[in-house]
Amino acid sequence: MIDLKELTQAVGELDEEKVTEMLTEFVSSKPTEEEAQKVVNACQQGMGIVGDLFEKGEYFVGDLIFAGELLTEAINILKPVIGGQSASKVGTIVLGTVHGDLHDIGKNIFRSMAEAAGFVVHDLGIDQPVENFVEKVREVKPEIVGMSGVLTLAIESMKDTIEGLKKAGLRDGVKIIIGGNPVTKEACEYVGADAFTTNAAEGVKICQGWVK
Amino acid sequence: MTDAHELQRERISIYHDVYDNKIPKRVPVDISLTFDVIAQFGGLNLTEVQWNPALIEEAVDRMCQIVYSDRCIYGGSLRYPSFYQILKAQSFQIASNGFIQHPEVVGMLPEDYDYLIENPYDCILERIIPRQYKAFNLHDPINCAISFAKSILAYQNENAQTGMIISKMVEKYGYYPGGRYSGGFTEAPFDFLADMLRGFKGISMDIRRMPEKVAAACDALYPIVFKRGLPSAISNYGDVFIPLHMAPFMREKDFATLWWPSFKRMVDEYASMGIHCRIFCERDWTRYLDYLYELPTDTRIMFEYGDPKLIKEKLGKKHIIMGLYPIMSLKTKTKQECMDEAKRYIDALAPGGKYLFGFDKNPLFFSDIKLGCLCAVTETVRDYAVYSNAGETAGMVFNKEDYKAEPSRKIESKYYKTWEEYKAQNPEVADFGRQKLQGLEETIFNYFTFLLM
Repeated sequence: MIDLKELTQAVGELDEEKVTEMLTEFVSSKPTEEEAQKVVNACQQGMGIVGDLFEKGEYFVGDLIFAGELLTEAINILKPVIGGQSASKVGTIVLGTVHGDLHDIGKNIFRSMAEAAGFVVHDLGIDQPVENFVEKVREVKPEIVGMSGVLTLAIESMKDTIEGLKKAGLRDGVKIIIGGNPVTKEACEYVGADAFTTNAAEGVKICQGWVK
Repeated sequence: MTDAHELQRERISIYHDVYDNKIPKRVPVDISLTFDVIAQFGGLNLTEVQWNPALIEEAVDRMCQIVYSDRCIYGGSLRYPSFYQILKAQSFQIASNGFIQHPEVVGMLPEDYDYLIENPYDCILERIIPRQYKAFNLHDPINCAISFAKSILAYQNENAQTGMIISKMVEKYGYYPGGRYSGGFTEAPFDFLADMLRGFKGISMDIRRMPEKVAAACDALYPIVFKRGLPSAISNYGDVFIPLHMAPFMREKDFATLWWPSFKRMVDEYASMGIHCRIFCERDWTRYLDYLYELPTDTRIMFEYGDPKLIKEKLGKKHIIMGLYPIMSLKTKTKQECMDEAKRYIDALAPGGKYLFGFDKNPLFFSDIKLGCLCAVTETVRDYAVYSNAGETAGMVFNKEDYKAEPSRKIESKYYKTWEEYKAQNPEVADFGRQKLQGLEETIFNYFTFLLM
């Protein structure tokens, strides 16, 4: 049987070779769905270590991107044995880069870390008009809306989007977090969000706090 | 002598003092607004007017009258849509608000490394440009040639229109005449590889999967980015502009082995020729301040983030510091708070000279700032940041003899001809043609490399 602690540690250390080797061997041992789910959890815990190391300043954005890719690869290897059931979801997030901004690297990092933490994420994509956020929120009724932007102009678009949610009567039903290069405490107050972060790992922790 | 000429004389003297290691009479106000900001200020529709940059002149003129700056407040744009659209750019696209941006697009695949390392310029032209610019289609050679020619002509046209407006304003309002990009523009070798070749995600994979190839690619690209930045004339007052991108996203270990060596070598080689660099440290470089100290004396360093006191303490005697004042304050704070904040930055950064006042980044849209706050801040700097010890020596002095260039490989490519090669093939060409023909070669080289920056 696979050593789950060792696997978690290998994911945390971003040791791609070791993770791939352990998982390939595990899949070839024809495990049950339950065993496979434990392995998925171990990988997700490894992502938690990555997040912690990022917050401690030992890992940087490049490492988070690599971690996201490593997790995707891991899940791909495990797919034949995971089966249909998915891990229990802790919450739902509607996520997107606000209108006028085409950047998505930060958003994608946040998405992969939030998914690793058990959130269901509806990613709208980049340059998203207000009405797309409003429609999606109305449709999936998430606990959280995440807005991303890299350019300073994104601040104004975030404000527009929150206004749009207010007008649609949806603002009070969700927590809103904004993320990206230009966000600050002042920007957060200005746009009327509940939280801000320039750090995807911290962002996920904030979201976890909201759905406890 | 007109007021504008007198003002210009004063401005030349304060800038030159900073560059000549002297304490100036006062801190130069070095701020810049882009084409997009001024278009919006003028009530012009950005998505329309950016197709004809000459239409912005009246708005620029009005902005010059309203906001104080020692360098022309209009900085123009590096990115107009015409030349990108003609070439069907993947890497520069127009967003819903008309703003041109650089989405993450991969120009180079992992399997291209060996060819890039062996023959970098050929690889760029044969594989990378065609992926990033779909109209540079090698399977449709005649349209490819037509599109390329149209694009470069559009580029020259837009730049000429922008340059003309700036020159008029410099003359009319007596701005410091040094242009922002007149000294050359390039990227660090690693950033060039990361930004439009491998992409942010690709390079983050490569750092862990094939670090040796990344290092070899930086060495291979070195002569190209080095040449790209060379100014047409060398002056103590000019500089090569190098925006720095990837370092803050990397672990120090990777930075030290993969990012830093080829960059350091580049600025040292420029310094050995008497060329200064103006670098923009995007995001937070606090953990790299000791590295920055090692750059040639009088490197002009613009910071986006960081503690001004710490930066001044570590680098202030050696380098010229710029930037840091948070542009976001101009949107979210009151006029008085903005003015007080400007004084705090001046108190931390101005003592001892080697400082130009500027923002941490340029506002992208007019809605990023409150005009009243902008005016209040620049006027505060002009009136408050006055030295009582003007003329004294400021910190360390630059000597180009202190720097050595390491030998590097030449650009050898069937797509780039030196004059000697051209002459050998066409012996009938008189030497009078040398400057013109070599100049055309450089124009094409510079445009191809610009397309990937």
